[in-house]
Amino acid sequence: MSRRRTDWGQATPLDIQPDEVAIVGVGEGDHSKASGRTFTEISAQAVERALEDAGLAPDEVDGLCYSGGMGARFSAEDFHAHFGTKQEIFESPHGGGMAWAATAPVVAAEAFRSGRARNMVNVFAVSWATDRKKMTGGPGEFHAHEPHKKSFEVPFGWFPQPVYFATIARRHAFEYGTRPEQLGAIAVACRRHANMNPGAVMHEKPLSLEDYLARPMLVDPLRMEDCCLISDGGGAYVMTTPDRARDLRKPPVLVAGVGEGHSAAGTYWSQQGDFTATPQVFSAPAAFEMAGITPADVDLLTLYDPFTIVALMQIEDMGFCEKGAGGDFVSGNTLHFDGGVLPYNTHGGLLSHAYVLGIAHVVEVVRQLRGEGAAQVPGAEIGVYGGYTGANATTLVMRRGT
Amino acid sequence: MNRPFPFPDTDAPLTRPFWEAAEREELAIPRCDACERFHWYPAERCRLCDGETLRWTPVSGRGTLFSWSVVERAWVKAFASHAPYAAGLVALAEDPAVRLVTRIVDCDPADLRMEMPVRAVFRPLAFDGVPGEIVAPLFAPATEPRSTE
Repeated sequence: MSRRRTDWGQATPLDIQPDEVAIVGVGEGDHSKASGRTFTEISAQAVERALEDAGLAPDEVDGLCYSGGMGARFSAEDFHAHFGTKQEIFESPHGGGMAWAATAPVVAAEAFRSGRARNMVNVFAVSWATDRKKMTGGPGEFHAHEPHKKSFEVPFGWFPQPVYFATIARRHAFEYGTRPEQLGAIAVACRRHANMNPGAVMHEKPLSLEDYLARPMLVDPLRMEDCCLISDGGGAYVMTTPDRARDLRKPPVLVAGVGEGHSAAGTYWSQQGDFTATPQVFSAPAAFEMAGITPADVDLLTLYDPFTIVALMQIEDMGFCEKGAGGDFVSGNTLHFDGGVLPYNTHGGLLSHAYVLGIAHVVEVVRQLRGEGAAQVPGAEIGVYGGYTGANATTLVMRRGT
Repeated sequence: MNRPFPFPDTDAPLTRPFWEAAEREELAIPRCDACERFHWYPAERCRLCDGETLRWTPVSGRGTLFSWSVVERAWVKAFASHAPYAAGLVALAEDPAVRLVTRIVDCDPADLRMEMPVRAVFRPLAFDGVPGEIVAPLFAPATEPRSTE
């Protein structure tokens, strides 16, 4: 592991202390294929359910985090329009899903310290299944218009994301001997968990390893089953201080550690110094150090998993196994909720639950730490979410509070 | 001219020289005057030494195949009739840290091998449902298949 390059990125310092923020309510909008709903409607539904879960009234919310960059902005104006409220709400665009589903607690910590907010909601939703036909390359739309991608990648047909990640998967297989059935083990674990979760889009569709291997290549070496869904859906979580959390309905989940890592190549995967790694190399050690844990202490892991290979690389880069040993590590029942060494994406993940870009991954960790999971990991006390955008990776360590 | 997807932007200062060179059947990559390293993708200044002048420099067009994907079925309409095709990355002979995104041609995708030597070939690219074409640097195996040696 020590031989690997680390000159291609770095950790970002974050201003948050362990146990400074508690997550006290979670909710999801309904997850589905194309539904005709807008992301604003889905966001409102998720926030409403999260507040109900927390036992907080809408007029007690004085902070709102959403995504500034992904188009799914559920603003204070939207909040008031839905709930009929009119209090002052502190807003931050540094929240939402993907990497930011892990770092919204950093925004909340600052807002709590400065007195700008006491109860803060982080929300994210998409209606990409409904909107897909209008989007160039679906979720690849951003990449279609990015100047260098448009001029140096797209014309060659190296577009959109499944093509990037198939190229990365092939290189990973070359460097480390990773085999198709090892990627398949990740897809199968996600599907099995989704089959247990009535809220998952793939709830009714089983997938065995044999099924997986029999499926045709979509972008060789990836099959359709290696790729995330395209969904309508979303989620929200409510944050407050641990002191105030004691008066609320559910036992709190404490934010024990947060990390963020950055790749110098940004979202130009083609140029990343270590082509078969993720910035979890930089993010996870920072989060684990802040939380005072090692990977062996983690009872369950949820990862932003647009493709099986992205999950595999993050598992390695976070230190759950040696770099390159991920294929062997994930084989068998390692990732399963019942007896696996590392229960993983226990709600089904982006592959089989819904492609709501990581917000549901955090919701799932919170439920697991309360003992409310559909595929419950017995006695789970420490859960981790790993977020990923390509340019960034983030790590959120959560532990069961009292 | 900033042509429609999936054509490149052949007008912007940072992208035009690459496509103008391709039109002349040359492969050109920016190189820093100060540290003499190649710099991909193009930028206003050198990311490595902060040098102010990046000069488009012709390179040999030789390299090795770093990795690739085979698009079996193109769900992006513009590439529909191209499939199956191999798109991937070539590490340049002059500096393997520079990985060019390209299309691998003149070879059955099943015969591609990691790290195989490749060379630039210049071919017109056209797309389904979008008028026009553009000469692009694609790559082909640099050596003849063993069976014909």
